[in-house]
Amino acid sequence: MSANLWQQCTQKLSERLSDKEFGTWIMPLQAVETDSGLDLLAPNAMVREQIEQHYLSLINRVVGECGVDPGAQVRLRIGSNSVIPSLPEEEEDTTPAAVTLGTRLDPKYTFESFVQGKSNHIARAAAEQVADNPGGSYNPLLIYGGSGLGKTHLMHGIGHRMVQHNPKARVVYRQAERFVNEMVAAIRHSRMDEFKSFYRSCDALLIDDIQFFAGKKGSQEEFFHTFNALLEGKQQIVLTCDRFPKELDDLEDRLKSRFSWGLSVSVEPPELETRVAILISKAEQAGISLPQEVAFFVAKRVRSNVRDLESALHRLIAGSQFTGIAIDIEFAKQVLQDMLAVHDRLITLENIIKTVAEYYKIRVSDLLSSRRNRSLARPRQIAMALAKDLTNHSLPEIGEAFGGRDHTTVLHACRKVQELRDSDSRINEDYSNLSRILSH
Amino acid sequence: MQGQQLPLGVHLRDDARFDDFQPGANAEVLGHLRKLAAGEPGQLYLYGGLGKSHLLQAACKQSMQEGRSTAYLPLSDLADMDAGLLDGMAGRSLLCVDDVQAVCADERWALNLMRLCDTARAEGHALVFAGDLPPAELPVAVPDLATRLGWGMVYGLKPLSDDDKLAALRLRARTRGLELPLDVGRYLLTRGARDLPALMDTLYRLDTASLAAQRRLTIPFVKDVMNL
Repeated sequence: MSANLWQQCTQKLSERLSDKEFGTWIMPLQAVETDSGLDLLAPNAMVREQIEQHYLSLINRVVGECGVDPGAQVRLRIGSNSVIPSLPEEEEDTTPAAVTLGTRLDPKYTFESFVQGKSNHIARAAAEQVADNPGGSYNPLLIYGGSGLGKTHLMHGIGHRMVQHNPKARVVYRQAERFVNEMVAAIRHSRMDEFKSFYRSCDALLIDDIQFFAGKKGSQEEFFHTFNALLEGKQQIVLTCDRFPKELDDLEDRLKSRFSWGLSVSVEPPELETRVAILISKAEQAGISLPQEVAFFVAKRVRSNVRDLESALHRLIAGSQFTGIAIDIEFAKQVLQDMLAVHDRLITLENIIKTVAEYYKIRVSDLLSSRRNRSLARPRQIAMALAKDLTNHSLPEIGEAFGGRDHTTVLHACRKVQELRDSDSRINEDYSNLSRILSH
Repeated sequence: MQGQQLPLGVHLRDDARFDDFQPGANAEVLGHLRKLAAGEPGQLYLYGGLGKSHLLQAACKQSMQEGRSTAYLPLSDLADMDAGLLDGMAGRSLLCVDDVQAVCADERWALNLMRLCDTARAEGHALVFAGDLPPAELPVAVPDLATRLGWGMVYGLKPLSDDDKLAALRLRARTRGLELPLDVGRYLLTRGARDLPALMDTLYRLDTASLAAQRRLTIPFVKDVMNL
């Protein structure tokens, strides 16, 4: 009944409002018919306010025109009628007294669906260890690394495994930014005690993207105390960050030090074999058999992160289903040409040279010069290795771009850098950082 | 800014329907968008070309007509508002977010857009974005936003060929109750501006003139009206 009534109303409203007004303010409203009238659910306070200020009288008029008893009321409130069992309805979206919408564990992010490779196996092993023995020696567990590499996936995997072991476990997942917003709201509504007891009473607190605490002193203070209370209670803390926390500016030293008390593990951009495995595994999940040569073709060209790999795979599957053409390399080249062009545009030899020069605080002209002192030769070799790994340029082309060097010089540089990465953690970290910066 | 009202559009776009979209080389995008509008979960990002807003609005309309909750957010009009506008929006079956480039350099908007992606994905809803650049080239305040926007399918809309433009013009003319003969359509394409918005403006002018003069569209009539 309500759907019909509201559909009639929206039809009339769409004729009297511009598409933009209608789409932004009227479309998001959901209707629930009650004994005394019609309840309209707005997704948030801003939509409710707009409706109250600008559209409520029009809505009332239109409801009347649709033959509803003039005494019937149209009431506005915040909420959603999409059924999500066991979750209490959000009011004002500020109360931390329950696991709220948008903060639930994603059912797709389990350990089973995580594709492991050299770049992430330590992080995965640590995450499983924590999930199986929460509150143990890896507390807090900090997972850091670039965007789209699986930090959040592992974090959710821990949550799922903990709930699997103990269905009553109270696992709270929050993005750091959400934590900050909730704290601000709790202060505004004088509900700090409730906020504190909510966060301090969980079995595991999973905070995603802690880099957003940087510069927010009040939140850092509160998080510091929450952190201490949880550690004392042997409750598990899992954090993710887009870089090693010690590199974060505007984060209190005492927090940086606390974060490193447990175990910090990094996730690196997946290497070629892992990227291939990810593509094949995701294709299997979608019920598609992806030829290995296509997986290699895509994995060689899309190097930056797992989300881009997924996106490429989705395009291939959709394109194949739409055209009825089987997925092969020619088809992949055609379907992905836009996406691959964007990737190629982003990582150019010029960009690599410029970024490496900036990173090591040297001049581009010095990087390209024939000078061989180590402070220049090392960055030069790293830049060459990055050029080989991140672009499809031939070695002679790379040599040419680096001041007209021979391709054997490039080859030597790549071997040297690999050797150094295996033996010197600082070089390895520099390389990973640069790779991450360039791949964003 | 929260009390600010959106400016009223000049006229209602009753033409924002899938059937009024000339797909040209974009038939695959159209097919995918239809699926999302029909209730399939997933994420789509459109960039480049023409007709993104048309497609997004058409998707919302279809979704709403079929009784699903939806919303269309043109961010170029909403950029001055608080990013909290996005709160709770991911709870809608289909959310279409237009002009992402208008807010993506703002950290708060960027964070809320990221959360939108995560929530819609976790709850199995559909999310469609449109922007003027591919996600990886947008000037985003937070790098994570670029990868989140590129998470589902990313399509660059292809420009229409002259034949497609001609078909688009004739389709639009028909929906306005006007017959645009092939030779007149070709004449327009060879004598005036060839981009679709300009061609559509010409069509509206001709429609008005033909109504006023009570004449059918012929090449001499077009020459006369357009001073060619």
